[in-house]
Amino acid sequence: MISTVIAYVSRGYKELRGEIFVLPSRTVVVIFCLMLFLVPVITGNPHYLSILTLTCIFAIFAASWDLLSGFTGQMNFGHAAFFGVAAYTAALLNVYIGLPPWLTIPIGAIAAVLVSLILGVPCLRLRGIYLAFGTLAFPLIIKDIIPAIPGAGGTLGVQGIKAIVPISSSPVIEYYIAAALMVVLGFIMWKITDSKTGLIFHAIREDEVTVRASGINTTRYKLLAFCLSGFFAGIAGGLYVHLIGVASPDAVFTLTLSFQAIIWAVFGGIATIYGAIAGVFILYSLYSLPEYLSFSISELRMLLVAVIVLLVLFFMPEGLITWIRDKTEKTCPRCKLQNVAWRKTCRVCRVELD
Amino acid sequence: MRRQVLVSENMAESILINGLITSGVYALLAVGFSLIFGVARIVNLAHTAFYMLAAYLVFTFTSRLGLPIPLSICLSVVSVAIVGMLSYQIVIDRLRGHEATILIATIAIALIIQESMLLAYGSSATPAIRLITGYQKILGVKVFYRELVAFGVAIILLVVTWAILMKTRLGIAIRSTAQDREIANLMGINVTRTGMITMGIALVLAAIAGAVVESTARPFMWMSPLVTVLAIVVLGGLGSIKGSFIAAFILGFVETIVTVMISEQAYLKEAVALAFMLAVILMRPEGLFGVRFEEER
Amino acid sequence: MKWLIKGVIVLLVTCLVLTVVGCGEKESVSPTPTPVPTATPKPEIKIGVIGPMSYIQGKHHLYGAEMARDEINAAGGVTVGNQSYNIKLVSIDSNEITSPSDAVAAMEKLITIENVDFVVGGFRSESVLAMQEKAMEYKTIFMGCGASEIQLCQRVAQDYNKYKYWFRVSPVNGTYLATISFMLTGMVAKTIGNLTYPEKPKIAILAENLQWADPLVAKAQQYFAAPPPNGLGMTVVGTWRPSQVATDVKTELNDIEAKGANIIYTVVSGPLGVAYTSQWGELQIPAASVGINVEAQKGNFLTITGGYGAYETTLNTFARVAITEKTIAFWDNFVSKFGEIPIYTSGTYDAIIMLKDAIVKAGTLNSDAVVTALESTNYISPAGKYVFMGNTTATPHDVAWGPGNVTGVGVQWQNGELKCVWPYAGGALGPLQYAGTVNYIIPPWVKAKLKP
Repeated sequence: MISTVIAYVSRGYKELRGEIFVLPSRTVVVIFCLMLFLVPVITGNPHYLSILTLTCIFAIFAASWDLLSGFTGQMNFGHAAFFGVAAYTAALLNVYIGLPPWLTIPIGAIAAVLVSLILGVPCLRLRGIYLAFGTLAFPLIIKDIIPAIPGAGGTLGVQGIKAIVPISSSPVIEYYIAAALMVVLGFIMWKITDSKTGLIFHAIREDEVTVRASGINTTRYKLLAFCLSGFFAGIAGGLYVHLIGVASPDAVFTLTLSFQAIIWAVFGGIATIYGAIAGVFILYSLYSLPEYLSFSISELRMLLVAVIVLLVLFFMPEGLITWIRDKTEKTCPRCKLQNVAWRKTCRVCRVELD
Repeated sequence: MRRQVLVSENMAESILINGLITSGVYALLAVGFSLIFGVARIVNLAHTAFYMLAAYLVFTFTSRLGLPIPLSICLSVVSVAIVGMLSYQIVIDRLRGHEATILIATIAIALIIQESMLLAYGSSATPAIRLITGYQKILGVKVFYRELVAFGVAIILLVVTWAILMKTRLGIAIRSTAQDREIANLMGINVTRTGMITMGIALVLAAIAGAVVESTARPFMWMSPLVTVLAIVVLGGLGSIKGSFIAAFILGFVETIVTVMISEQAYLKEAVALAFMLAVILMRPEGLFGVRFEEER
Repeated sequence: MKWLIKGVIVLLVTCLVLTVVGCGEKESVSPTPTPVPTATPKPEIKIGVIGPMSYIQGKHHLYGAEMARDEINAAGGVTVGNQSYNIKLVSIDSNEITSPSDAVAAMEKLITIENVDFVVGGFRSESVLAMQEKAMEYKTIFMGCGASEIQLCQRVAQDYNKYKYWFRVSPVNGTYLATISFMLTGMVAKTIGNLTYPEKPKIAILAENLQWADPLVAKAQQYFAAPPPNGLGMTVVGTWRPSQVATDVKTELNDIEAKGANIIYTVVSGPLGVAYTSQWGELQIPAASVGINVEAQKGNFLTITGGYGAYETTLNTFARVAITEKTIAFWDNFVSKFGEIPIYTSGTYDAIIMLKDAIVKAGTLNSDAVVTALESTNYISPAGKYVFMGNTTATPHDVAWGPGNVTGVGVQWQNGELKCVWPYAGGALGPLQYAGTVNYIIPPWVKAKLKP
């Protein structure tokens, strides 16, 4: 019995040493996840936890945008549509039928997938900027129409959505749920991009004609990208309304929200998934934090964020995390594995790294 | 809510006059936006933010520095053009080739302008600066003198722009750069300088719209016109100045018709305009007059 | 050389930017420090002030609160048992006009990080509904000073134990707002009716597209058309619903004129109010404008509308008349301290004073006890006599409306000043008229059209 445990532990340790700690990026990811889970231990303050919970939710949202637009190159300027549709679906189900969150959120996400298909199919015909502005129109139209639909809460929105758990212990548990979902979904999204499907997505962005010439049905893959993106964005939307307790058109369908997903993802590093997550954590914290410092600084926070984004993009046009990654890692010319930048030779095949 | 389509005697005139005025302003903004995109291939999401900046500058020069209104307008237009060209010189030079990044950079610039104005003047509207007051009844519809002037100015500017584009060497440079940047470069046209000049022209158009048409300024007034301008440019077809011009009038009239005919749902005018745009590009993916771009390497 | 030119241009631009920013008249709102007591520091009761601080509504939340705090602390503070406390204000920007979720976060921060004991403020109904939930979660007393949404108090009836910590101080709820605005409109209709006789005036309804306006619009459509005594017996020529941030309603105004309206009934709380009145005045639309226009309550309304806001008539909570013996003193005090006339969100002044009275009565800071004490409030304030509606009514903890209590006032811009024109003796509230009320004036161009 003890020997099996030791065997697992030593295997785990070898795994860690061999696969994870060799690269600074992977180490950082592990430390990050660790810190995520330790936060409630460090501070039990419900306000900080709420902010972090929101950050995790928005991270899922931004990463889902990256999955679609970063990888397949189909610029989606209306990402808020997925978020909002799922949010409203979850809200209405919860308030009118009384379904619990663990049902409303997945159903909301499925509604978002349906919308993504409705959005995606016509968008197959559109290219480039036309696609971008076409998608931009969607959430705005929905935002103006929803208040007119009876029963959808009008401009006040749907009120009284139940929290994910009863209130007594909610901030901590809500936080863990959001953080865990972010890590899991983020990992899944990353794995998708790392797979054959992800390769095809990337190829579609680079040169769709060639991909089609290779015999791959790009239409199917483009729609798949839309659906996956919509699904994950939908989860984020459902979580959001259960956290805030209200679903109103001004909160979930705005142009600002769509833009923010793009800003976060591009700032962090487009087409990386982890870039989007990092972007949200850095920028959203910057946006929420100045409140604590002083009253007058909080008026400046949007300005601060915009200036920082501009500066970072000026010096690192590919995105912050991409820039850091390029500075700290090198690819081996022979076995294509990632290596730390300051190594002289590849860690696996011993070929010289230049 | 009760739907209401009450017909009044001069509904047609109302639609005509109001539609023309609204479209004129949109045309100024859309043509400028289209120029920048066509020549420099930049989606300038901060375009309407400069329009807003011009309105704020007029207020600043007039009420804070005490300058006479016409001088303020001129100064404000010039300033906006300079600020715009400068920011783009710095930003675009650096970010050439990274489309997504340029997009975000323009959003960031727009946000910086918004936040600066918010800091400087707060969130309520600035007190009105009116060059001309009073109204005129045309065909039974009351129109502000200001708007007539603005409409006149818009038409003149658009004609001048058309003349520049069609009749001058600069215009040929602009048009050829828009058509094919590489070949234009090979032909000896200084594409960077042409880009900058185009940007200047576009900014002047936007700034005049902001300085002359608007009498007050609010920090968020750039967002709603931005959406409409994007819809117009898409509808008209990117890269086509003529398309943007015509589409501006189409969507301007669509909005006016909605406002006049279903007054109780008048707030839907933007949604209807957007839906209209969507419907058209779904049927004709390159817009009404757009050119199908070859995939650019 | 090229870089030199660029450098000079950058310098010029920077100067330009600094000029603009520097010339800006940004009224920065920072909480004024509590006067430092000379003896050992007194323990403090922390009251949170939450509102949209970069807008006038939030600023007046703070101003009203500061006035109350200074008065109370100068008079020795709050005595609980045998311990005396000073009041300390903690203000926070809810950003509620743009983002309800920011508002919720701000409320949470106020309670969990700043550890306030009580909260006053709130403005936009959408956001206040969410903020209320948060405050109730933490069982913190929240006194609303800006949102009229009736649901806020209906919730108290539906789930008393959860929502009992909520009280509404201003304005009166939407139903009463409708009633008062109809009475005000009735007065205008009577005056106009004398000119259109024997025909009844025609009325147009212009309401912003927000939820709080919907019930008012529906009621108005019905009430204006119904024959007396259940209504005003007028013809409703149409209803227009522009966006609350619309900047151009010329089309709507032209339409209203074309349909022959003599009166425009407004239900507007947002920036639309400025655009609407400016254009109404400049185009000289021949219809008297009356109803609810929150922007018109502001001291600089005439400046902002370029003078075209003259004769605009709206509901208000305060006016410089003797609603009670405290009103004029409050008004003058407010103006001399802050340089602006108070709008209705400065009801935080009353909220904090009532809170203090309740704390003293309860003898403890315990929320439940203070709630019970608040329920029996009977307090003469500058806005009228405050009594909260009882727990058996449909909207408990709502401010009771009626002659003798809080009635609201109707004000009109006349000769550059905001004058009180309603209630007036012989009107819907009987003989009630506050000393200092003047007659309503029909806008001259409207009069000229009706009586050429």
